[in-house]
This record gives sequence, structure tokens and C-alpha cells, in this order.
Amino acid sequence: MFQTIRQMNRIIDNEERAAESVSSSPMPEEKLDGVLLGKYEICRLLGFGGFGKVYEACHVVTKQSVAIKVVSKRDLRERGLMSQFQTEIAAMRRLNHPHIVKLYEVLATKTKIFLVIEFAKGGELFDKFVKSGPFGEDQHRRWFQQLISAVQHCHSRGVFHRDLKLDNLLLDEDLNIKVSDFGLSATTKDIRPDGKLHALCGTPAYLAPEMLNDKGYDGDKVDVWQCGVVLYVLTFESLPFTGANVQTQLRRIRRGEVRIPRRGKPENLIHLMKRLLDPNAKRRITIDEILKDPWFKKGYTEIKVQQKNLEWEDENRPKSLNAFHLISFGSGFDMSGLFLDRPELEFSGSVERIVSKETPRRIVEIVEAAADRDIVTVTGKEDGMGAKVEGHDGTFAILIGVYRLTDELVVIEVKKKEQDGDMGAQFWKDKLRSRILELEHKPE
Amino acid sequence: MGCTCSKERLVHEDPAVLAAQTCFNVSEIQGLYELFKELSSSAVDDGLISKEKFQLCLLGSSKIQSLFADRVFHLFDSKNNGVIEFGEFVRALSVFHPVAPQEQKAAFAFQIYDLWQTGFIERDEVRELILALLRESDLILSADLIEAIIDQAFKEADLKGDGKIDLEEWNEFAAQNPSILKNMTIPYLK
Repeated sequence: MFQTIRQMNRIIDNEERAAESVSSSPMPEEKLDGVLLGKYEICRLLGFGGFGKVYEACHVVTKQSVAIKVVSKRDLRERGLMSQFQTEIAAMRRLNHPHIVKLYEVLATKTKIFLVIEFAKGGELFDKFVKSGPFGEDQHRRWFQQLISAVQHCHSRGVFHRDLKLDNLLLDEDLNIKVSDFGLSATTKDIRPDGKLHALCGTPAYLAPEMLNDKGYDGDKVDVWQCGVVLYVLTFESLPFTGANVQTQLRRIRRGEVRIPRRGKPENLIHLMKRLLDPNAKRRITIDEILKDPWFKKGYTEIKVQQKNLEWEDENRPKSLNAFHLISFGSGFDMSGLFLDRPELEFSGSVERIVSKETPRRIVEIVEAAADRDIVTVTGKEDGMGAKVEGHDGTFAILIGVYRLTDELVVIEVKKKEQDGDMGAQFWKDKLRSRILELEHKPE
Repeated sequence: MGCTCSKERLVHEDPAVLAAQTCFNVSEIQGLYELFKELSSSAVDDGLISKEKFQLCLLGSSKIQSLFADRVFHLFDSKNNGVIEFGEFVRALSVFHPVAPQEQKAAFAFQIYDLWQTGFIERDEVRELILALLRESDLILSADLIEAIIDQAFKEADLKGDGKIDLEEWNEFAAQNPSILKNMTIPYLK
């Protein structure tokens, strides 16, 4: 009976292209083994993802287990999936959440691209569920809470998964959810001028009704619907919409014909499920409302997103600077040079401090105007001492401090930190640097 | 610990003694020793840190003239023999430890800024230090503005109004403005 809840074929609609199934077609390619690029030792084949094979591997030095998704560049080009693949990488880079698999790094050779991803030791929730399920209401709730927390994080960073299903929810060794496979995800960039997403993609059984009506849809509503399907499958061990063939199935989804059986299930769980699987997207429960739902809330503690070390120590920043503050900026005082193994987080790119006649408020406004909401969030404006520009992907942060020097002048101080990659350096160079430099006051 | 270590102990001070005198414990001092070995072995491996090596670590070049690195080196080189030994290194770094007392940090900074070692921080010294900063940074300040900034600092710090800042006044000023001693703390040491 469990076979009925797995639906392998996925629809990828790359704009004009016809729907194409890219499920488990093993590519007739040489098997990957040995040490990859001198860094990862390939252990075994784990399976086939949307774009290619996935291997378990282990870092040669740290021995950390990772999953490596191997994608052929030619294959991507020939199937017209290059931009979708780039979206997957961009989406994963933005995310940093305990219940979302992490993208550690992207490696490439002439012909292949390798995504080095967090390895979820527990495998697919689907397999676990089929083998040892059902797990009971409390465990289902725990998974659902972790899923919702992960989806909330995605949406806060402008990422819509669009293919949430049991097969894409992995587990770690402690049975915690790790949302994976952002191969069909969309980011805010994909939103059309009408404010909607349009591509028809996903797994038929999990498609939301509004995805089938050609009028565009909201990515967050669709993700909520799919969470509803996940909860339904966990609870009833079957799919909410089935049919003798995909056409029938899709017709039922389009009509929103969902029957939620009541047999022996708690009232408030059924109520939540009805609200999740509301065919009317406008009326459907939102993530914020889910967080307040009685069934959901039980035992839920907000899942903290661990921050990478992009914080600055100096929380007690002075409002204004005196002569000795200026002197203390001297590079000879920076003892960090003595510590060879210090984490190399700070990136350079000139403009560390300049004087300006602008007000702190105006400077923050200029920073905000320059900040591309797709890439960064601007925070820390409240104290009127500048702002912090943080990359959505959590890999970089730029602190723009504004300190009063005299009645007329302020000092603008720019600190930059970055981890993995060069998104921050690029952002600084393209968007901010010249705008900050324009503010400089030079004495005649 | 092998025999090489006991040989080194003949040259360097006992970690236990250093631990008692500083903010570091014995294992941290052993860690610092590894660091010291690396720093002192650049260019000439003589187990000592010369001014050139020190500048190379701090500024990435031994060629750059830096008044600040110069002053800091002299404070590290407490025996004033032109090189930093391991004991000097640990004692000086201890001042930069996050838990080191503020007064210790203030006294260290005072000695750095008292360029001519007169026991006072004077206007000319402050001007010299500001000019040194402007030379090495992107900041551009007019001469008038520099004087105005010095005026303001002395108005606040020189409580006795004799045109110079003594250690007592400095301690008071640093207590009022703890952020001026921020560079006297190395967060990594925690």
C-alpha cells in the first residue's frame, strides 16, 4: 500500500518547455570512485537526484561525511536545466537552518559540477516511514514542526521549495528532519511582474490546486499546501489525492476534492490539516498562523538558527569619537596578525574609515537604498549608529558604523566579514563601495 | 614531554611561573609557546622576535614604517634589548587578555602614547599619533580640525588643566571612555 504514497515522476517546466520527467534515469556514465579533486574520498552511490547522481563521500583530512551531487555540465545544457540548477545553488547558499541540508561547497571540473552537501545519515523520511512507520502523533508533530520551521526560514530568505514531499525530507541519525533537494526551488528573482510564480513543476500528488490554473501562484502558499500533504501522508499513510492515472489525479487536485477521514484522529489535527489543504490559496493558513495553531504548538520551542561567526565583539560602540579613538585605529595595534591560525573572515576592499558631513540617518538611508533585498537584509538601524548589511545566505556581513567626530563631521567605518565564497566582496564592490565613497568630505 | 622540551626550558621561563604572573594557564602558555616558535622562526630561526619579525606579523611587511607597531614593540621588549623573548611575549600579551584588569590595559596604552617617555601624554605627542594614523589610513582631516579634536580631548582628560595628561588623569579618562582601550584587548585570547 505504501507504493501509493510514492510518486517518482517529477514535472519540471522550464518556461516554454513541455513538462519533462527527469526521475530516476541513470545516466550511462563512468562510475565515480577514488578521491575527488584531492579532497573527498568517494564511498558509495546513494541514489539519483533530479540533476544527477549522489554519492556519499568523506573529507580526506577532516573525515567528515558529506553527500556529493555530481552533475554533468553537458547534460544540464542539453536538457536546458542550467538556470534551474543555478537557482538550486543560489537557494541553498541563502539558507542556514538546522533542518535544512547545508551546501558546503561547489566544486567543478571541465565537464562536471559537484555540490558538496551535508550528509543526512538517516536517509529519506519516506524509506524510514515505509520501513518502521507510522510513528505516532507526537513524532509526526515533531517532524512537522521541524518542517515548518525550515520552510519559514526559506521564505524569510526569499526561497520557495515547491517540491516538499516525504522523499525530499531526509533524516539525521537522531531522526531530525533535513529538508533537501532544492532542484525545483524558486527565489524572489523568479517572481513575475504580476507578483506570482508561473512554472508548473513538482510532483503531481503534491501539486497545489492553484499551480494547475495557469494564473500564477504564490510560492509560500504552495509550500504550505505541500506541508499539508506531508502531514496527511504521515497521518493516514496514503496520499490525499490519488487517481488511476496522473490526469485523474490532477483533475481531483484542481477541484480541491480532498477527503480527510476522521477515523480516530484528534479533532485539532484534522482542523489544521483542513486549513493546510484549503484549495483556496487566499484562505489557506499561513506559516505565522500555523505557528499559533493549537495542534502545532504543543511542545514547540522556536528553533534557533545558528549564526555563523559574523558578529563583531564591540557591542559597546561609542556614539562619538575622541582623539584617542582615532589613535587606537592604528594598524600597529591590531595584534590579530600574531595569531596565525585565526579564522580568516574579514575581507578587504578599501574604505575602512572616511569622514563625512552627512547625518547618520542619511547614511543609513543610502545604505538601505543600495541594498538589494534579494541578496541582503539591513538590520541594526535602531541606535542611529549605522547599519548592518547581512547576506541572506549567512555567508557575509558588512557593518557600517557611523560615529560623531565633531558637530559637523562623522566618521563612517566599514567592516566586512565573509565566509565561503565572494558574495560579500562582490556585493560590496558592485553596490555599496562607490556610494559610501561619494559621502566623503575632503577639506579644501 | 620529550627531552627537547627540557632543553627549551633552560632557555625559556617556566610555564608555571608565567602562568602565576599572567592571565594564562599552563596549557595556554604552552599554546603560546607554539605560536612564539612559529613567529620567531620566520627569516632567522633564533628563538627571538626581532622588530622586523614583529612588524612582519602585525603589518604583513617589515618595510613599512609604523609608529604604532614601533611603540608596541618597545612595550613588549621590556628589557629593552631589541628582541622579544618568550617571557616578555607572554607578559605583554597577558595585558591584551579579555580578562586582564582595565587599569593594566590603561597603563600599557599610556606608555605607548607617552612617546617621549616623560610620564605625561602631551599635546605634541597626541598630534604626532594622529598624524601617524592619517598617514596610514584613508582618513583626511584638516589641520584645524586636528587641533580642535586635540582641544576637545584635553578639555575632557586634562582635569588639572596643566596642558598634559598624567597617568592618574588618563586612568580617569579611560574609565569614562572604556572604548578607547578596545585595541588593548585581543578577543582570540579568550
